[in-house]
Amino acid sequence: MLAYLARRVAWSLATLFGVMLLLFALFFLVATPDDVARKALGDKAMPEAIAQWKANHGYDKPRVWNAAAPLDTMLVDHLRRLLTFDFGRSDADDTPIIDRLRAGLGPSLSLTVPLFLLGVLASIGLALTAAYLQGSWFDRSTLIACVLLMSVSLLLYIVAGQYVLGKVLRWFPISGFDPTPAVIARFLALPVLIGLAANTGQDTLFYRTLFLDERSREYVRTAYAKGCSPAQVMRRHVLRNTLIPILTDLVIEIPFLFTGAIVLESFFGIPGLGAMTVEAMQGNDFATLRVMVFIGSLLFIAGQLMTDIAYTLADPRVRLE
Amino acid sequence: MIRRRRATFHRLTRLSVVRMAVPLLVLGLGGGCTNNPYPDADETAKVLYVAFSSPPKTLDPQVSYTVIDHAVTGNVFDTLLEYAYLERPYRLIPALAAAVPQAQPRADGRVAYRFTLRADALYQRDACFGIDGSGRTTRPVAAADIAFSLARIADPLVGSPVVDTFERLHGFKEFSQRLLAARNADAAFAALRPDQQYARVGGIDGVRVLDAQTVEVELDAPYPQILYWFAMPFTAPMAWEAVATYDGRNGRDNLADHPVGAGPFRLARYDRLSRIVLARNDDWYGIRHPEWQAPGAVYPSTGEPGDAADGLLAAAGRPLPFLERIEFRRDPEQVPAFIKFMQGYYDTAPILRESFDRLVHAGALAPEQVARGMELEKTITAGVYYLGFNMDDATVGGAAGEPGRALRQAMSLAVDADEFLRLFANGRGLAAQSPLPPGIFGYDPSYRNPWRVADPAAAAARLVDAGYPGGIDPKTGKPLRLTFDVYDTSARGLLQFQFFVEAWKRIGLDVQVAASDYNRFQEKVRSGAYQVFLWGWVADYPDPENFLFLLYGPMSRTASGGPNTANFADPRYDALFLRMRAMENGPERLALIDEMQRILEREAPWIPVYYPEDYALQFGWLANVKTPSLSLPYYKYLDLAPAPRAARRAEWNHPIRWPAVALLAALVAAGGIASRRRRAGEVAS
Repeated sequence: MLAYLARRVAWSLATLFGVMLLLFALFFLVATPDDVARKALGDKAMPEAIAQWKANHGYDKPRVWNAAAPLDTMLVDHLRRLLTFDFGRSDADDTPIIDRLRAGLGPSLSLTVPLFLLGVLASIGLALTAAYLQGSWFDRSTLIACVLLMSVSLLLYIVAGQYVLGKVLRWFPISGFDPTPAVIARFLALPVLIGLAANTGQDTLFYRTLFLDERSREYVRTAYAKGCSPAQVMRRHVLRNTLIPILTDLVIEIPFLFTGAIVLESFFGIPGLGAMTVEAMQGNDFATLRVMVFIGSLLFIAGQLMTDIAYTLADPRVRLE
Repeated sequence: MIRRRRATFHRLTRLSVVRMAVPLLVLGLGGGCTNNPYPDADETAKVLYVAFSSPPKTLDPQVSYTVIDHAVTGNVFDTLLEYAYLERPYRLIPALAAAVPQAQPRADGRVAYRFTLRADALYQRDACFGIDGSGRTTRPVAAADIAFSLARIADPLVGSPVVDTFERLHGFKEFSQRLLAARNADAAFAALRPDQQYARVGGIDGVRVLDAQTVEVELDAPYPQILYWFAMPFTAPMAWEAVATYDGRNGRDNLADHPVGAGPFRLARYDRLSRIVLARNDDWYGIRHPEWQAPGAVYPSTGEPGDAADGLLAAAGRPLPFLERIEFRRDPEQVPAFIKFMQGYYDTAPILRESFDRLVHAGALAPEQVARGMELEKTITAGVYYLGFNMDDATVGGAAGEPGRALRQAMSLAVDADEFLRLFANGRGLAAQSPLPPGIFGYDPSYRNPWRVADPAAAAARLVDAGYPGGIDPKTGKPLRLTFDVYDTSARGLLQFQFFVEAWKRIGLDVQVAASDYNRFQEKVRSGAYQVFLWGWVADYPDPENFLFLLYGPMSRTASGGPNTANFADPRYDALFLRMRAMENGPERLALIDEMQRILEREAPWIPVYYPEDYALQFGWLANVKTPSLSLPYYKYLDLAPAPRAARRAEWNHPIRWPAVALLAALVAAGGIASRRRRAGEVAS
């Protein structure tokens, strides 16, 4: 297993290196440092101010090759910064990017973690019940409801949710965010409910299919024949044996809890990392965007690795070799 | 077996229902069940709630330029001068300065203004003032701080957007060059604190600190409008300690996020993407010295006719500010922000286009909204939207001579501004006759530009004079083809542009819209590759110069990158502009402005379309609101009554709980029905 992990880590590093090179090409070769400086300082900025700004951000060095000092290039700086998590400063307002990440992480997690946990509970619970009651009125209703939930755009959920739950029924603030413990639940309730409505349908259908598939296997009948109760069969056999695909689905999502929910954060004014990414896009803050793309890639690769490890925990038959 | 399955089913059904119900219960009833976005403790406080959509770019007063930037900096940084809150036309009054200075002409043609600062005006408390180890937390505002602010504007590394204006200060450019040269020549110099660098290179020659309270600024030539710039945050006093401390290094804050001012409010909280809180600054001179009765520190007792009837003079003579706190809450989308306003959670809001017809009937608030205590505040903005012609163009420009002039006049006659406003702005705005909007010296409400009457027949006749009868270009035998360059590619934007295209089509012209993004459009304008365009301008200060300079020849966009986007150049106009610019308001200046407007009328480099009008909504619990047509800080004048606000909020936002109960009941019933059916099926089998 260690050899397998070492190989996977090596591949992951190679993939990450490729991502970093791609980022460099996109952000430093397509848009020149002068363009970026002008975006930050405005059209009227004096050449001296542009030169100083470029020097402050390390954009004044040769981009790829420096004969005099091969390590003193923007490419080397770019790789070093990302690998050492020394992300530098925002192109838009000079704030250290690490400070922005720290500030945005809390609001993002306060939205994505409950959304994730409640989503898992709701979709597995519904799917397990529907699978057990296959063909029943409850199962058919769940199927129809899930297809309906899947078919509607998240934006419509947001608009309708804000209108019905915030404006008409007056249950929740229609938008906004306040991290004060006494009121934070008020602000998160609506986006979490909307996120649940948007995600639960697809997950429930997927898990139901897995449970049905598992229920039809021989060993389930054997378990019944040996006297196991239906609850034991569903929980100990069906649920446990479908854990691998469920884990694949879930573990891969965990890293992205840290990058925030872009659409929900933007619409509800939650100052998380998703909203920060949108802000960086709108404000031509290429330094922040680079970091967010890099972190997204890093987390995705980490998620893949975690999924592999989770397989061995969920199913002792799986050996990573 | 059957019994066991039934038990399992019941358990599963219960579990599922419980799993669905728990989040709903927790989120729907337990976690929230109120749409109040604020802590209950604030119900009784004088806290003003305002929405903002885009976060501030910077809170450095010498750099900040956007509306939300100024909403913060304008209230945190006091300026030397400010505008009389209720008076129109605008009049400057002293703020941190003891008096509005008079121009002092010098023998060499220069003009000086001497500002005397109020003694004992303190900065807000901040740790930066202990930079010298003294442990102090504030200090008086000094004349040297004004010199420091002006030097920061000149410093290329600060990146102030108003360098062009202050180049009129004697020695401004030279200071900037000396500073750069010293930084380039000596790394040790470049590592010094900014204030030390400025001192080493000798400061700006035309800015002289005469004593702790007196500073004199000297201009190379008369420019009376300079005083308006001392009513803007750009020239607000900046403490060198703040600049030296908040450099963003080693964990220290960035100056752009940490303003240290001497205004009526201080920044109490700054979550750039969600919440900005300004709290009353108890160290402000107006609060510490109410006995001074300083004009900027007490509510005015004079205003325009009608202000008294509107209740705007009820607070006359009372010390400012009235509010304890101002809470800016971020709402990136307009609709949720407006709904929160309607729920009473924002105290004021711009009117939402989609709700306009429901709220406003015939220019007045709908009766049901009046009954809710809502009020409508209308303000013509000190701005103008215009269709411009590239006067360098061979067909529509000055080179085309009389035919070109006739073509521009014909195109002007074809455009119905009132119809445009009706279709696209819910009638909010005033059809423009000239570049000067209401409230600006020189604006004449009775003036009618003969080419700004919508008259297709006259337009067609003028096209004949232009040599394009029926719009036909004799060279091609087809309708004259022109390009309408625009920078808005949205569907709504294109619809607006199509309005003008259709108007010109009706007189036979073939005008094609060339839409591009703003950067590409700017490039086209810089390179002179355009014919007709739509642009707008909102004034920085209430002076006709700030509008008429948009057509001053030497400021041509293509030739010099200046604001004259039409590249209009008329020697008579330019000469009149220079004379007008150097004058104080008076009959002589008015005569010059009239003459300039006659030139613009005849040459028609612009089709002035409209002066935009803001419709702002507020509730009756907010008092003393008179929205300025310029972007000015005015929160210190506002007052509000928390008790009626709290009562209205409670009345309007009582949660409707029965759907949650019904939903839960439905879920339980669904589980029960499924259970019974399943049981029946199992028994049958």
